[in-house]
Amino acid sequence: MSSLGFRTLLVKEIRRFLRVPGQTLATPLLTTTLYFVVFGVSIGHQLREVGGVPYARFIVPGLMLMGVIQNAYLNSASSLFVMKLQGTIVDVLVSPLSYAEILGAFVLAAVVRGLLVGGITFAVAAAFTGFEVAHPLLAVAVVTLAAVAFAAGGVASAIWAETFEQVNFFPTFFILPLTFLGGVFFSVRMLPPGLSTVAHANPVFYLVDVLRFAMLGAGDASPWAGFGLVTLLAAGALTGAYMLLRSGWRLRS
Amino acid sequence: MSEPVVQIRGLTKRYGDLLALDGVDLDIRAGEIFGLLGPNGAGKTTLISVVTGLARATSGEARVLGRDVVRDYRFTRRNVGLVPQEINFDPFFTVEESLRFQAGYFDVKLTEARLVELLTALDLTGKRTASARALSGGMRRRLLIAKALVHEPRVLFLDEPTAGVDVELRRALWSYVRTLRDRGTTVVLTTHYLEEAEALADRIGIIDRGRLLLVEEKAALLARSNGRSLEQIYVEQVGRRQAAPP
Repeated sequence: MSSLGFRTLLVKEIRRFLRVPGQTLATPLLTTTLYFVVFGVSIGHQLREVGGVPYARFIVPGLMLMGVIQNAYLNSASSLFVMKLQGTIVDVLVSPLSYAEILGAFVLAAVVRGLLVGGITFAVAAAFTGFEVAHPLLAVAVVTLAAVAFAAGGVASAIWAETFEQVNFFPTFFILPLTFLGGVFFSVRMLPPGLSTVAHANPVFYLVDVLRFAMLGAGDASPWAGFGLVTLLAAGALTGAYMLLRSGWRLRS
Repeated sequence: MSEPVVQIRGLTKRYGDLLALDGVDLDIRAGEIFGLLGPNGAGKTTLISVVTGLARATSGEARVLGRDVVRDYRFTRRNVGLVPQEINFDPFFTVEESLRFQAGYFDVKLTEARLVELLTALDLTGKRTASARALSGGMRRRLLIAKALVHEPRVLFLDEPTAGVDVELRRALWSYVRTLRDRGTTVVLTTHYLEEAEALADRIGIIDRGRLLLVEEKAALLARSNGRSLEQIYVEQVGRRQAAPP
């Protein structure tokens, strides 16, 4: 993975999203800042506290995670799909790069974008709510693993997709609803018993919850469940994307 | 005679019911320009795609410099350059960045001297810092050639490199292909233009419906054809094959 080829593809992918910072960094930052201002600051004045934590602070981990996973997914999915569409994927496919190097470069670049968005979101929110983080190492590990999982999912999705609509299918119909229903803006303890059970079946709930534990020191479920799940998701998505890439499906005829 | 730089044995490629390559055997010799002719859908691009790694053979094998293109793909791809039929470019990057990235994929650090040499040879010096999106069609085609040559491949595959380009550029590209051959690069060229093959190729291959119908030295082919042009020979070969039952 230390080859010049891998480093070149990684640098190219990072430079690609830095060339359009308005689209790749400023837009997600504006969106999450608006969520924070509307839900955290405005509604937060009415709700006051959730589980002993000021509401504006309570929603920061969920907003961060939302920015991280959406941007990690979109980076790898859109970049690889556009390369397929433009034909520039040929440049990579005829090169001596291995499948692991190609996957590693796309995933790592997407993780960098996800972490940049997450970091900026945290910095903006922390200016209002404070910079204390209960378990910083765990917080970094969780957002990184979540970014890896969704970046690898983006690679798999781009290989499968034949239209832009298909690229947007996963974020629109899975990531967005699961994130909103995953406790970004509420605690599952606030839900009636039936809905609480449904929320526990949502994997994103555990991701938000373990990050909330890492940042605020308390969550609704076991942090080990969340950490175990995000690790499994990252490993599973990487393996799936690698197998798909290696199969040559929709890439090599 | 030295070992062929490309060896193809029993190469078959199926796309569902379509037999794109049907047991092709072919040797490409070091330092020659090999012109591969055939109608649309004959199998020219498929053959190139298998050797360069863009397609996987159903059966048979292809070797570059004696190494299998699947098992030893890192070695073979370092020695092969491809100019694809379709023009592609990344609108995010400049000409120089595109060339530096392409070199990097091949584990090559592009030196300033090599960059200048390529830009000069392909008349892109004035466009070094221009976005690929700002280039004309002909310049994009030349950028593709520069990208294919950036790692100094021993074998260069040109898949219909002059399709849709004007006469002036076509002549300039022919001249550059000859220069490459004279420097020792082996060139495999597919083309629809018989005039192009006649002007450039040292040997000619004619392929149709996945089968190689003829491989011969161009000079010998023309010498034994009683004054017929390459076009007449081509029409005769392909016509005979198409008249035969499949």
